[in-house]
Amino acid sequence: MDKAKPKNVSLTLWIPLILALLVFGAYRFLPFISQPELGATTISVLTESRSNNELGVITNGLILMPIAASVLFLLGLWNFANHEVNRTTAAVTALMGVIMLEYYVVFAQDYMQEEATYLSSMSIGFWVLLILGILMVLQVFLPRSTVEQEFKLTKMIANQESAIIIALVALILIVGISNPRYLATRNILDVLQGNAYIAVAAIGMSMVIITGNIDISVGSLIGLLAIVSGRLVVGGWVLGGWEIGGLMIGGWIMPAAPIWVAWIVPLILGAAIGAFIGFLVTYLRVPSIVVTLGMLSILKGLLIMWTSGQRVTDMPDGYLIAQMKPFGISTPIYFMIILTILAAVWMRYSGLGRSFYAIGGNAEAARLSGLSERRIIMQVFMINGVFAGIASVLYATQLSIIQATPPPSLELFVITAAVVGGVSILGGKGTVIGATLAAILLNAIRSGMIFIDVSPFWIQAVQGALILITVLIDLIRRKRQRL
Amino acid sequence: MRKFLMTFIVMLMMAALTVTVTAQDERWDGADDLDVAPLQCGMGDEMDESDEGMDGDDEGMDEDMGMEYDGGSAMGAPDMMGEDIVLVDVPKLIGIGYFDATYLGMQQAAEELGNVTVIQGGTTEANIDDQVADIANYIAGGEIDGILFAANDPVAISPVLEDALSQGLHVIGYDANSTPGAREWFVNQAEFNGIAKGMIDSLVAEKGEDASFGIVTSTFTTPNQARWIAEMWAYASDCYPELEWLETLEAQEDAVLSFNQANSLINKYGEDLDGIFGMTSVATPSSADAVTQAGLCGEVAVVGLATPNAMKPYVDDGCVQSVVLWNPIDLGYAAVYVARAVVDGEFAPGDTTVEAGRLGTLTVVNGSEVLLGPPFIFNAENINDFDF
Amino acid sequence: MATMEKSKMIGDGKSPSQILKDIALSQEGILFIILVLTIMILSRSNENFLTTRNLFNQGRLMAEVGLMALPMTFIIITGGIDLSVGSILGLSAILVGYTWSNLGMPLEVAIVMALLGGSLAGFINGLIIVRINVPPLIMTLATLAFYRGLAQGISEARSVTGYPEWFFGLGQGTFLGFPSQLWLLIIAIIISITVLQRTTLGRTLYAIGNNAVGARFSGLPVDRTLLIIYTFSGFMAGLSGVIFVSRFTTTRSDMGNGLELDAIAAVVLGGTSIFGGKGSIIGTIIGVVMVQLLRNGLAINGVTNDATIVVIGSVLIVAILVNNQIQRLRQSE
Repeated sequence: MDKAKPKNVSLTLWIPLILALLVFGAYRFLPFISQPELGATTISVLTESRSNNELGVITNGLILMPIAASVLFLLGLWNFANHEVNRTTAAVTALMGVIMLEYYVVFAQDYMQEEATYLSSMSIGFWVLLILGILMVLQVFLPRSTVEQEFKLTKMIANQESAIIIALVALILIVGISNPRYLATRNILDVLQGNAYIAVAAIGMSMVIITGNIDISVGSLIGLLAIVSGRLVVGGWVLGGWEIGGLMIGGWIMPAAPIWVAWIVPLILGAAIGAFIGFLVTYLRVPSIVVTLGMLSILKGLLIMWTSGQRVTDMPDGYLIAQMKPFGISTPIYFMIILTILAAVWMRYSGLGRSFYAIGGNAEAARLSGLSERRIIMQVFMINGVFAGIASVLYATQLSIIQATPPPSLELFVITAAVVGGVSILGGKGTVIGATLAAILLNAIRSGMIFIDVSPFWIQAVQGALILITVLIDLIRRKRQRL
Repeated sequence: MRKFLMTFIVMLMMAALTVTVTAQDERWDGADDLDVAPLQCGMGDEMDESDEGMDGDDEGMDEDMGMEYDGGSAMGAPDMMGEDIVLVDVPKLIGIGYFDATYLGMQQAAEELGNVTVIQGGTTEANIDDQVADIANYIAGGEIDGILFAANDPVAISPVLEDALSQGLHVIGYDANSTPGAREWFVNQAEFNGIAKGMIDSLVAEKGEDASFGIVTSTFTTPNQARWIAEMWAYASDCYPELEWLETLEAQEDAVLSFNQANSLINKYGEDLDGIFGMTSVATPSSADAVTQAGLCGEVAVVGLATPNAMKPYVDDGCVQSVVLWNPIDLGYAAVYVARAVVDGEFAPGDTTVEAGRLGTLTVVNGSEVLLGPPFIFNAENINDFDF
Repeated sequence: MATMEKSKMIGDGKSPSQILKDIALSQEGILFIILVLTIMILSRSNENFLTTRNLFNQGRLMAEVGLMALPMTFIIITGGIDLSVGSILGLSAILVGYTWSNLGMPLEVAIVMALLGGSLAGFINGLIIVRINVPPLIMTLATLAFYRGLAQGISEARSVTGYPEWFFGLGQGTFLGFPSQLWLLIIAIIISITVLQRTTLGRTLYAIGNNAVGARFSGLPVDRTLLIIYTFSGFMAGLSGVIFVSRFTTTRSDMGNGLELDAIAAVVLGGTSIFGGKGSIIGTIIGVVMVQLLRNGLAINGVTNDATIVVIGSVLIVAILVNNQIQRLRQSE
């Protein structure tokens, strides 16, 4: 513990100074300063509402911010003189964070009361300050490197799930303050629902990744199974009648299948394709990335050869399971939550579930302790296929029309959800809960960017940056804990 | 080291947040500021015509009639008059309903003509590099006499098409143009400004001249979509200055993403949102589904470009009142007839009309473009008459 | 690794026929035989396949993927992966256009900017992978989205066209009778082979792939090596971006979408083990050529693209499968 100390101290020495710099920088970019023409109106609105504000906060951000920055700066200087200041630094930084947040409370109140629209046109400084404020408060809860400063909260923050929850809450707060409509029940439900099928697929993907494998073909698989399901329930397609190179093989025109068949067949077919992949991976020893990279093209090619782009429409109403809303909440959310919990519990307590971790963590040791690696890997790919099947049914029934082409780069979305969710790509670690949360986070980011009027040209970059930040913060936090 | 990390993260954050401010009245279309040519405002008779199912309003379309031929020519092309020819169809991508329909039209024309074979080319991804490689393959194969293409990018596709022309192959575009010099003729399904007018007029008819709306498109870099939005902008600011443009969102060609984006529009603007434009045949049905599932049929109008088959459920429900599109089967059909006429020497630079089988006589606009006709507006009365 | 074994075996004083058998049955040998068989089959059914014009044209088309597959081989040999190369390509393409058109710099400066930008993007990948121990897959998955987003943001979805004529020589012209970018590819191949087989850097790559911890303990500069190859990967993606712009005469932010999977497929098809420690440049090149010629040959023979990708996917799996079985048989001999 002591050995690591000098390093820690040198870091904490810098924190307040960097923060002070940032606050000054952000202050410089506050709309009143950087955009005088905007500032004129905003300040007048602000001061008007100030005159009768009950909070009693008489100053506005123009005065609060430099104070906070100066305090941080002095703290930073003081840190250089006294090295044992971890706790003080944390406390004072948090206090400054509180001051900044207070500024936003006032803003939010004005916003609610006056229905003023200036918040949507705030510039960089506004958002940087808000994020800094939240981070400054949050850093109190981060684990410290010394034993006496660890408290129970750190245990809760000790895993990736909570890192994502924090990111999610922070995002919802920031966006929600800027645009309260984001917090409307309907939107929250839409945010939860939007990526539900990706979350379900990510559960299976997490299991595959935990065993040290990967499945790149899941996007094509979901696209194919969705069309299978849709065609089954609508009927009228030709079985065996496949045109290859101008040669037409005769077939049977299929009648419409019962709805439950259309729901179950994708699961079975998914499991079968998963078994095929698993067979190639285990018994023929082709690395999973090679098999699934190949399957990605094969399944996509087959899908196009089969449909040549024909969509499926006219599905019966009873089939559209994803559009049902028991108790006012749409079914994909139930699926996502229930499957995640079931999978998490199963992974934790069942023998097979635990053996996934064993294989991923150390395949050799797992083999020596009598686990059949082959069978387990076969099973994990089959389970992944079943989850892809469920995801494909949710995807197929979400709209009243099934497009013949799967969403482009769907596999990357699923893998991103799984790995951002904390499933170590090297295998042997992680949980499926993180994957689901990450899928929700991805959709919350997408939706949030719209609500705070990010320039549409930059939405992708901001999304990428936020994903990167989530991953980096988690890894740095993990590294700190190890010290 | 951690200092570096801290700074890096903070820098990332700054970078992410520098861009949060945006002026709302920018034109988010990626149309490279190309010139726009809005049509005359013409709301009144528009309604009658759309009841008949046809938007016969082609005033302003013949402005460019006098333009010189600006297409290229196939160098040293063999004289194949009346002989059997093989054409390859290279759409933006294969495996989507729209280009399946154009291909169907090509097959119909080939069958009628009897001396044309159309083979299917095209790639499974709408990437410019894949498309160029695909065309290069057919040129190298040497078994074709002409190329029918729909470009993923007008400029990027041009070198390979010029190469084809220099090899004596005939090059005809449809759906999405290249630069004029890189092909002989382009079969224009409907002029950009005509589509734009059809879209805006449909919305205004449903929601009035002061409606506010959002747009769900594929990507800002898709040339056709970008041009349509640009033309819509120009037409709306000329004719309906009261219309309020709320936002344009990208949704790739992803059905669920389009659905999510439309939902976000609905949630963000609430009762301030009067309409959603779908710019692709994926985005339009998805937006219609978002509106239907939100129970906002009638509150939020959905107007868009889509094939009738994809839109039937929504039009029959009454949730969507008008869908703007040309007939893609006719588009493919016309492309083959134009190619045949060029090969036979019946259609040469300077001509102002071309015969296209069941479509009758098509006119030449903008120098080297064959116009299929005005865009078609599908509604509850006529949508069930079409099957594509 | 396989090539290293080969050179060792030759030194062991075996009979010429034995050496020949060893070469033929090595990873690359088998791939090469498959490649030759493919070419023979494809050229029989269409006489236009095996013409210089077509082959040169294919060389032109595969140059970008080839250039990105070389550093990808290095990276995969170390057990890593770089998914962001396609996005870096797009970013550098945009940088060419932005620097030239919006900043009004000379095009030479713009090209240098693009190469620097690509290298920087690769360097950031490498730095974070090395310093924070982020698994390469996660890091490059995140930057895949981030760099693509930067490209779109910087360009504001506008394309830049109208470059001077000389610039197109790189992507469309010929040099000494060969397509110009093929020269670049050949030079890059020679450098890569030399680096991998004759330098300590190359040996370090194999060592990292076989046992990263061991390599670190035996005093090898693991971090520096990784940083170099990820930067190299970014540089090559930047170079490909410049060639891309020159070939297509325009810049678009979605350029190079999905090319990362093409590059990875070529590398694994070439026998490089995804678990690291094994692989060669020759194999990768055979992989790149094989995928390109299959696409070309099948299309020339009138196979549609949906069937082509099924064939390529199957070839990928079967080639690795056959190779694995043969190598296993040889080991058990």
